[in-house]
Amino acid sequence: MKILFAFGVLILVSFLGARFLFRKRASFSPISYFFFSGMIYIFFGLFLGRFGVKVLTGDVLKNLDPLVHLCLGWVGFIFGFQFEYKYIRRFPQKYVGLSFLQSLFIIVLVSVSFCILLPLLYAEQDYFMLYGMAIAMGLLLSLSSPSLINFFSRRLPSGGNYCYLARFLSGVNGFWGVLGMSLIISFWHYPFFSTGITTRGLIFLVVSVLFPVFLGYLFHFLTMGRSESGDLLVFLLGMVFFAAGAATYFHLSSLFVCMILGVTYSNLTSLQGKIYPLLISTEKPFYIVFLIFIGAMWEFTFDLKIGLIVFILVGLRIAGFLLPLRFFGRLLKFPFPVPARFGLCFFSSGGIALAFIVSFKLLYPLEMTNVFVSAAILATIAGEFLGPWGLKKSILILDEKR
Amino acid sequence: MNIIVLIVLFLLMLFLKSTPLEPFAELGKSSSLSLGFILVFAFLLGKKIKQLSLPRITGFILAGIFCGPYIMKFLSTRDVQNLQLLDGLALSLIALTAGGEMRISELKKYMRTLVSIVFFQTSVIIVGFTLFCFIGGSLFPFLAGKTMAQTVAFSLLLGTLATATSPSTTIAVINELKAKGKITDLVLSAAVVKDFAVIVLFAFSLSFSKGLLSPEKTFDAQFLLHILRDVGGSILIGLAVGGGIILYLRFIKEQMAVFILAVAFFTYQVSHNFGFHPLMICLLAGFIVENFSSQGEKFIQAIEKSSLPIYVIFFAISGASLNMAALQKTWFLALIIVVLRGILKYSGTYIGARLARAEQGIRKKSWAGFISQAGVALGMAVIIERTFPQWGDEFKALILAVIAINQIFGPILLQRLINRAEEAGKK
Repeated sequence: MKILFAFGVLILVSFLGARFLFRKRASFSPISYFFFSGMIYIFFGLFLGRFGVKVLTGDVLKNLDPLVHLCLGWVGFIFGFQFEYKYIRRFPQKYVGLSFLQSLFIIVLVSVSFCILLPLLYAEQDYFMLYGMAIAMGLLLSLSSPSLINFFSRRLPSGGNYCYLARFLSGVNGFWGVLGMSLIISFWHYPFFSTGITTRGLIFLVVSVLFPVFLGYLFHFLTMGRSESGDLLVFLLGMVFFAAGAATYFHLSSLFVCMILGVTYSNLTSLQGKIYPLLISTEKPFYIVFLIFIGAMWEFTFDLKIGLIVFILVGLRIAGFLLPLRFFGRLLKFPFPVPARFGLCFFSSGGIALAFIVSFKLLYPLEMTNVFVSAAILATIAGEFLGPWGLKKSILILDEKR
Repeated sequence: MNIIVLIVLFLLMLFLKSTPLEPFAELGKSSSLSLGFILVFAFLLGKKIKQLSLPRITGFILAGIFCGPYIMKFLSTRDVQNLQLLDGLALSLIALTAGGEMRISELKKYMRTLVSIVFFQTSVIIVGFTLFCFIGGSLFPFLAGKTMAQTVAFSLLLGTLATATSPSTTIAVINELKAKGKITDLVLSAAVVKDFAVIVLFAFSLSFSKGLLSPEKTFDAQFLLHILRDVGGSILIGLAVGGGIILYLRFIKEQMAVFILAVAFFTYQVSHNFGFHPLMICLLAGFIVENFSSQGEKFIQAIEKSSLPIYVIFFAISGASLNMAALQKTWFLALIIVVLRGILKYSGTYIGARLARAEQGIRKKSWAGFISQAGVALGMAVIIERTFPQWGDEFKALILAVIAINQIFGPILLQRLINRAEEAGKK
């Protein structure tokens, strides 16, 4: 009964919420963005979960777990589906280079910083686990999302170089982080942490890449003929469920596996025109359900140490996106200057970062996971708050100057 | 190409569920894999079955039986239970669609035939099964040594159960064939009206049987008041839901798919928990939208756009939950009951249609539209099992076997009927 009630609440909230989610607004207000970007639903999930009215308890979440995996898979598939070679190659290769260097810099900066900091804060914990958490934080901070730029697109100058570049980078940056995550999950495969790391890791990595590629081909063969939108929806849901389910079965990341499925399928099919409307029509309700799940799963813990981690995460994010830009711009010989200020537009990491956090939460039921989840969610929310301000101070000024 | 994908998917699932990979199953216990597999597999099998001129839902049901806990075990009993969460949603969507397909002007035309067929079909089946239980009582091992009163109680319940037809299956087949016409409308309306009549009749039979089996208990007429309350409440809720949908379609119009899902799910769960009839409510709501607004077409389109995956899972899971072990045990007796039910359905329909002066086609052929059985009959069997623990479990096993056979052949017969009447593709 409780499961049915919870399921019903999810449908109702997703219906009501989808009407308001990502409604474009003219003002750069962080409060308004906080509501319209859906972050509020994380707190609603927290309220529905063990800290509130106990509708979405652990047992209920366990029973609704296909829905959790579907949401993760859906985020991954949508993210991967945009990586169509025909589309990517329209951008100069320098853009891809900048995305890679920027992500690499942040991953190294944050991972190294936390490899030093975490053992100092949690000396009693196993260092092996702390280093894993440090790398996960590095990967998390390298992610960014284009939702913020899309949300304020009416206020941004159309046809500006910086807006164009920012859109590309914020969309592509996530790829490196999710790829890094799959490496961690394969080589640091729970619960076989210390035995046969290399061989086992390679096997899992190959499985998490080849399996969705194979499914992508099957999906393509299924939709090669004349497919109605109803048939496409069945195949799409079925394939995402199957890929996410297989990932869960092998204790791999549904996010990564479905991202690869999305990449493979988008490069094989010619049905983008039919698939995109399907994805768009289902995106908002799925996203809201997903955010509620995140809130409900969140075993909220907060103390001084977590507060310090959040503060450092936000600081490192600012530093990581700002500091090296001018240098990378010159190194890649960009036709226009890439000032440090430009990095301010990457504070928002949206759904992909939250999916990343949930993946870790599901895959590593460890003592430190709750610390990671709490710090990571709070840092992500802080990033969403800073996002509109950063956008105003970066693209808006830079493109108007030009 | 589809057949190759179907085989490849099957082999892949076989590999994933094979013994060397069992340790992983302990790690990642989730229904997602099974759900994804059954969705694609059942849909593809449905498409293949359709090429053989059989209804797609037979393919969905067969896929469920084949992959379910009794044969390939790709879906465990736990998976089936988890996925039954979607039952209410699917049933409500089906009933909303059915209501949206009924027009007052057309209903008026064959109201007399409809009432006559429902009445005579029900009466002939109950009388027929009562006689059968007295003549062939030795066929039922659990009737041995039972008193006259007990045999009457048993036959009354068996007859009531045999009357039931699955409106969900009927609607699904009609939707799939995009059928429209006299016979289609008659079968659809009769299936829905009969569903309601059977529920009332069952409440009556159960109360009567209890009185027969425990003479110390006086006949309890209280249930009549309950029925009146439930029916009245269902009508009021149905009107309210229909009105709400019309207002939404007229003034808001956004996020139609999620709106329909929310309405379907909530209507089912809330009404079910308060003892009302979810199918009746949704049917009436759909009927109101179709007949008292100009939004009917938009409404049906919104349902059709998002409901296919839910139907596939619903029928596949209903296939997976058919008890093959029960069928194996009682198949012979079940087969006799199925054949007898078919004969009685034919007779009842023929008498009803003849007395209503319906045309030859309806008299002779429309019985084939009333064979399928699913949820309602299953629910009744469970209630009987709980109410009469002395013989209820054997009775339930027998009924499960009967439902399994009827649910496999029912959709096939209905499709044949619609095709012969040349009403497919007329919508």
